[in-house]
Formats: sequence, structure tokens, C-alpha cells
Amino acid sequence: MKNKGFYRFMMFVALILTVSVIAACGNGSDEESSEAEATEGESEGMVVEVVAKGFQHDFWRAVKQGAQEAADENGVEMKFVGPKDESAIAEQVEMLNNAVNKNPDAIALAALDTSALLGPINQAMEKDIPIIGFDSGVPDAPEGAIDANASTDNYAAGELAAESMYPAIEEQVSGAEGDVRIGVVAQEVNSLSITQRTQGFIEKMVELSEAELGEGTVAVTGHQKLSNSVSEGDAKLIIETRVPAQLTDSAGQTEAQTLLNKEDLIAIYGSNEFAAKAIINADSAISGGRIGPDKVVAVGFDSGALQLDAIQSEKFYGSVTQDPVSIGYNTVDLAIKATRGEEVSDVDTGAKWYNSENIESDEIQALVYE
Amino acid sequence: MKSNSSNGFISSIKNAVASQRFIAILALVAIYIFFAVSSESFRSTDTLVSIFDASYYIGFLAIGVTFVIITGGIDLSIGTVMMCAAIIGGVLFQMGLPIWLVLIAIIAIGGLFGLFNGILIAKFKLPPFIATLGTMMIAQGLGSIISNVQSVTFPLRGSDAGYYVNLFRLPNNFPVGIFVLIGFALLAALVLNKTKIGRYIFAIGSNREATRLSGVNVNRWETVAYIISGLFAGIAGIAYAATYTTILPGEGAGFELDAIAGVVIGGTSLSGGIGSILGTVIGVFIMSVLKVGLPYIDLQPHYQLFITGIVLIIAVYFDVRRRNKL
Repeated sequence: MKNKGFYRFMMFVALILTVSVIAACGNGSDEESSEAEATEGESEGMVVEVVAKGFQHDFWRAVKQGAQEAADENGVEMKFVGPKDESAIAEQVEMLNNAVNKNPDAIALAALDTSALLGPINQAMEKDIPIIGFDSGVPDAPEGAIDANASTDNYAAGELAAESMYPAIEEQVSGAEGDVRIGVVAQEVNSLSITQRTQGFIEKMVELSEAELGEGTVAVTGHQKLSNSVSEGDAKLIIETRVPAQLTDSAGQTEAQTLLNKEDLIAIYGSNEFAAKAIINADSAISGGRIGPDKVVAVGFDSGALQLDAIQSEKFYGSVTQDPVSIGYNTVDLAIKATRGEEVSDVDTGAKWYNSENIESDEIQALVYE
Repeated sequence: MKSNSSNGFISSIKNAVASQRFIAILALVAIYIFFAVSSESFRSTDTLVSIFDASYYIGFLAIGVTFVIITGGIDLSIGTVMMCAAIIGGVLFQMGLPIWLVLIAIIAIGGLFGLFNGILIAKFKLPPFIATLGTMMIAQGLGSIISNVQSVTFPLRGSDAGYYVNLFRLPNNFPVGIFVLIGFALLAALVLNKTKIGRYIFAIGSNREATRLSGVNVNRWETVAYIISGLFAGIAGIAYAATYTTILPGEGAGFELDAIAGVVIGGTSLSGGIGSILGTVIGVFIMSVLKVGLPYIDLQPHYQLFITGIVLIIAVYFDVRRRNKL
């Protein structure tokens, strides 16, 4: 019994120590410079809170790099946070709550789910904190909440993927007699950006192949949200979309493998880094591999070490890349302008096709990330 | 003579519980003060509301699972059951059910999963860890099946059915939810300490065999503990829907561990027979103050995991020491 008070005390001390030591490690930055010095007209001392959709993917690191560049050029303090993955809606709500509570000069937001975020978005509006949307932006946001967006035109980027893939499969498509299938792996069907990229691809591909085969000859199957009324039996060409039940690499791989195991598959498209990775991993599990030159034509989106390697080794026919650094840069740039009260409008940060031929060019190297 | 010694035994248990509860309260206050001193903006009422928001669903889960843990069992299914109940509720709402009926259905679905766990464990003698692990996966899968792997969105404030959001937050941002949470905590404490259900649940956790031999229907009361856990998972589902609006399919795994961590930090023993609802609520708040507070000192929220882990280990260490002494 005598020891109890001592242990009680020790636990208390240990706790406080832990918290403060860790706080000290992470808190190397300047504490005082934050809010005190913010003056009008000058961007020096401004604070921009960036709430992304993720944190650990290479894509987000590249966005952060661009955001940091813009912040450094203008002497602005930029804080970049993001939830552990793109399904952590609750975590992102808490992050945006925190960002708003800290009363920054501007907030940049890539929303996982706008309706879940309405509370803090409205609060930011009440406090007159400008919000800049980036990446997939803040779809269906309340009127006047978002000052401007810095994002890729995702539908056009999806179309670009289809247009670039088509020449490689044109011959097989033109001879199609119900025995030809194009597979699509989509990470999910909830967020606008990925859905648009998937839809852009599918609709362009339908348009291109129906020009060859005739109206109503292409069946779009798979997920309800992404299908048409043509039945698989009547169709000459089938486009099948598969969506994993969970946001894990293994669930994605299973869906990609299901597509790759179909005998009639001639091409496959993954509409983001996750989906492209799923295709590469699934293919490496098949002996001999299904994708590559003179085999199934594979097209991806974004980059990342695995995908870059697949393109260099020509397993992938090519991919569409966004410009994450430019997204980050333009986001913070817009945020600074909005805070100064300047007129801001949406910026299309662009998308480009790349393959083994131009991957080493300076133009592409500036966009892709490991 | 006999009653005397058992009284001494019970009061020493009560002291031990009380002391850890005391430490937990001290720790909560200390952490709060630490953040309040470190960051000016942390001291706002908006931040307090954020802390409450982050506590509701984990709080309900933790209160429910406290009952199971006191019996010496464990319920790993609560996280996915909560999301499954909420997503089925969302589908029912899309089918046109009025929202009040949807909320009742959500709680009922939670209760049914609890009953299922209870039957597996009490009647068919499956180990709780395995049985509820199975239910965890079943709930995760069922939610995805019923929703066709699509997210569901609950009615927003301002829409016809959006009035239910007022259960947790009024239009002027007043956090009613904290009173709802405390109300349910009081109710749970009452059941645990003042009713037959509570007495038998404690008795099962302290000595299952002795309880059975004294004529108590152990199977029935153990099942009741799992049903309570399930019902609270349903309530947590409502809290989650009201706070975060959108429910994604296949989510919820991991929340049960947050809840169990809160329970343990609050002084409830994982080996059963010892525990309190107040402790659980404090434990949950320690975790959410850490989660909300760390970004104010410019740390990413994943530091919360690191620090919560340390807090958890210290709390369990105390639990072990205490039992060695008894």
C-alpha cells in the first residue's frame, strides 16, 4: 500500500514527460511567427492550412512539395495534413475542424465527402476564412464557400487515356464479334475525381469503338453506377469495370486478377495509382504475365515507383499523369491571392500522356513521382 | 464471518478501481491543461466541441463493451457492427423509411448482432475472441452486400429528416451530444451497479464457476452483456451518422480497439470482475483530447496512436500490479 502513492506519481510524470518530449521533437518550427505578424496586403506571416485527402501516397507528397514551394516563395507558413487513407472520412472531418478552429488566413481542401464536411465548411464561411479546393476539390459545396479550385479536369484526363490506348487495340476492336473485353479497375465509385476519370475513359472508349462497330454494340458492365443497357450477349465488345470492396491493396489485386484471368481480355485500365498498382501486382502473380507488348494492353494513371518501372519495361503501354506539384503550387498561390482579396478563378493543372518513349524527357520527369 | 471477509474483499477492489479512476481523471485534466497552455486556439469552445464530436461514437462503443469486458469476455465486433447498422439504416432511409424508425432499426440491428455473439459464446461455448472476430467480418461483409459497396448519406441538417442531427448538435453548434452521452453513461452505470443484471455480470467476471454453482443462469446474463454491447454499438452508429453524415461500406474495423483501449485506460480489468463506466468515459476523453489536441502543437494525428499506446501500457501495468497485490 505504501508504494501506491509513488506509482501514482510516477505514472503522472511519465505521461506528462511523454507528451512534452514528443511535442518538443515535432515542434522544431517557430512558434511565435504564426498569427501575430499577419498584416494586410503582405503575405509575410500568413498561415495556410492545407487539408488533403491522404498523406502517405507519393502523389500527396508531390502535392505537398508544390505547396511548400509556393509557401516558401511568399514567406507564408503552410501546414499540410491528410487522413491515413481515402476512406477515413471521420479523420478528415476532425482535421478540418481543427484547421478552422486555428483561425488561419486561408484553408485549402480536397474533400473526401462534402456532406460530412459541411459543419466546418460553414464555420469557415462564418469566420470569413477563404477556402481553396484542390485535387478533386469540394464537389457540391455550398454556394460561395469555395473561392476557386486548383485541379485536373479528370473527365478529360480519362478521355486522354482512352484516346491514347485506342490505336494499340484498334485492330482487335474492329474485328470484334462478342469475344473482346476491355477491363477497368476503379478504386471506388464515391469520389468525383476517380469516378470522372473512370467515366471519361469508358465513354470515350465506347464512342471510339462504336464509330467502328456501330451504335449499341458495346456493353458496359460491372458496377451498377458505371454500366449501360446493352446486354453482354448482344454486344461485340464488352467494357467491364470492377471495384474492390475494401481499400486494401490485396482487395484491389483480387479484382484486377479476376479481369486478367478472362480469356477474352485485350486491354485493361486502372484509373488511379492504387488501381494501376493493383493491375501490376495481379499480373506478377500470373506465371508468364498477361500484360505487355503483343499481349493485354495496360494503361494506368498517375505514377509511383511500381508504375514507372512497368512503363520503362513496357509492361504498361503508357499512363496519364496529373501534375501534383503544380496542383500544390497553384493551391497555395490561390490561397494567398484570396487572402489578399484578389479575384481568383479555377486553375486547370493539366494532364499528360506518357510511355516508355517520352518518360525520360524533362517535361514528363517534372510531373511523375516515385 | 464469511460476509465480513467478502465485504473486505469487495471494498479493497473498490478502492483499487477508485484509485485508477482518480489517476485517469488527473491525467485527463493534466493533458487538457498541457494543450491549453501550449496553444491559444486550443482554449476555444469550438475546440471543445470538436473534442466532444470525436468522443461520441467511441464513447458509446466503449460504454457497451465495458459490460462484456467485466464478464471477462471481449467484443471485437462492435466497430464493424456499428458501421453495418448505420449503413443498413442509411439504405432503409433511401428506401423511404421515416428517420425515427431508421434510428430504432439501427439500434435493433446492433442488438441483434449482440444477441448473435451472446448465443455463440454463452450457448455454443465459442471463445469470445474468435466468435466476435467472426461477427466482425460478417458485419463488415453484410454492410457492403446490403449497400452494394456504395456509400450512404444520411439526411443533412435543414432537410426534412435532418432534425435528428439535433440529438447531437443544435443549429447554434451547442453540443447536446455530450449530455446524451453522459445520460447513457449514467443509465449504464445504474444498470451495472444497482440492478441484478450488473451484479450478475460482475459475479460472472469474478468467478464464473462459483456464480453458476450458486444457481445463477450464467448463460443468460452473459448473453445480456453482449446484447448491451450490441445495442450501444447501434447507438454509436447513430452518433457517427449524425456527426459524419456519410457512411462508407466495409469500414469500422479498428474502432473496437479504440473503444477497448478507452475502457482499459479507464481502469476496467481485461480479466473481468472489475470495472466502471465513469472510468471508461474518462478513458475515452483522454484519447480524444490527445487526438484533437496534438495538431495544435503541430503534430500529425498519428502521434496520437503512439502516445495512446504508451498510456495504454501504463494503465495495464497498473491493472496487473493491482491484481498481484490483492
